[in-house]
Amino acid sequence: MPGFFKNKVFWSGVMALVATLILINMTSSERENITLLERILRDTYAPLQSRVTEMRDYLSGPRSIFIQKQELSERIAELEEEIARLNLSNQILRENEEEIKRLRSIINFRDNNLDKYELLAARVIARSPNNWFQSIIIDKGSIDGIEKNMPVITSKGLVGRVGSISQHTAQVNLITDREIAVGATLQRSRETSGVVEGMVEGNLLKMINIPYYASVKPNDIVITSGLSEVFPKGIDIGVIYQVTEEPNGLLLSATVVPTVNFSKLEEVMVITDFWPVSEETEAELPALAEE
Amino acid sequence: MCYLIHFLLPFLAVFLQSTVFGFYSIKGTLPDLVLVFVICFSIVNGAGKGTVYGFLCGMLEDLYLGRFIGINAIAKALTGYITGRLQKGFFRENIIVGATAVALGTLLNAAVLLVLSRIAFPSFHIDEQFVQGVLYQFAYNIILAAPLYGWYYRSSRIGLLKLPGEK
Repeated sequence: MPGFFKNKVFWSGVMALVATLILINMTSSERENITLLERILRDTYAPLQSRVTEMRDYLSGPRSIFIQKQELSERIAELEEEIARLNLSNQILRENEEEIKRLRSIINFRDNNLDKYELLAARVIARSPNNWFQSIIIDKGSIDGIEKNMPVITSKGLVGRVGSISQHTAQVNLITDREIAVGATLQRSRETSGVVEGMVEGNLLKMINIPYYASVKPNDIVITSGLSEVFPKGIDIGVIYQVTEEPNGLLLSATVVPTVNFSKLEEVMVITDFWPVSEETEAELPALAEE
Repeated sequence: MCYLIHFLLPFLAVFLQSTVFGFYSIKGTLPDLVLVFVICFSIVNGAGKGTVYGFLCGMLEDLYLGRFIGINAIAKALTGYITGRLQKGFFRENIIVGATAVALGTLLNAAVLLVLSRIAFPSFHIDEQFVQGVLYQFAYNIILAAPLYGWYYRSSRIGLLKLPGEK
């Protein structure tokens, strides 16, 4: 028998390894609550991380003063042009919104518009310290009414959902994380209900489960389908970049460029009052419409 | 004092990675400062102590992340053990030795994490993005390793980081 089998250090190592593997297994699925130790660690870091973020914002202020005047003038002109264009499209959208409201009231359809939700603004104070998990820490926690699985967005689109929460902070798992899957549909064709998931590294997404006959092409906008029960319907996720055929030939997959720039996230909004439509209610909707 | 600094180093590393380096990542890839410290520690203090230190540092990172707790602890303990074993027969005062150990340690750590991820998360797969991420981190870690190893080695010989009983 080899000598190391009699070695106490060897057996301590084996026991530590087994205990750690059990711990990995226990924490691999979503947990309702984080442990006291994790909470203390997170809340200890939070004020320090907030200071660094504030300092960074403060230091980036003077730098912007030195931006060329001409560059600023060009940017103002561009923005004015964009405002004029957006004003016009706003008028059309307002009209459409009123029409939709009228039609929905006729068929007793559940209002799913984003503007009806309560939004809580939060600052990003830290990011995941490694490349394996894509998450951010925000400066709002259980004390501010944040709960697990609340959707997180910006004005550009979907960011992710709340994972673990401490008293003053919350960890938001980004949609680029490989553990997050979002029910998605294509805004143009509406015929596809796929799933968008994070890729292992980088800031790209992958849309899977697209039937081979689906009309999908680059630059199509991908939005939430509302079927994942965590995210409201109609939030922008990204834009199709490339479509590829899966080896089985029955399905397509697509690389999606997110509308949100995750490496430059500074502020986000948490939807605090989204209650997903249950499957039973969803099933009743066509019947209600017919009535 | 040296124990306190060794205790605070991984806390500082996680703090820097989640803030400063988070804002200055290379194409979304962060360095692994905790790993760099673990490797520096292992080269100077040997495989046994390196394994324990790697385990504790990895566990701290896991507790902060809150998911798959223990995955980084095992990966960093194993990396600490192997780099601690390999240091025998090399001139440890040479920065190139430190940088090479960090380079090999980064690849080893990624390989262990990959194996553990495959066990814990069966649908995990390697793609171009994954390889690219490891390579960026490899480069980032080497850049940080040269000055950090030089500082660590000097401090552990004649400075604040010298462990009691070390020659």
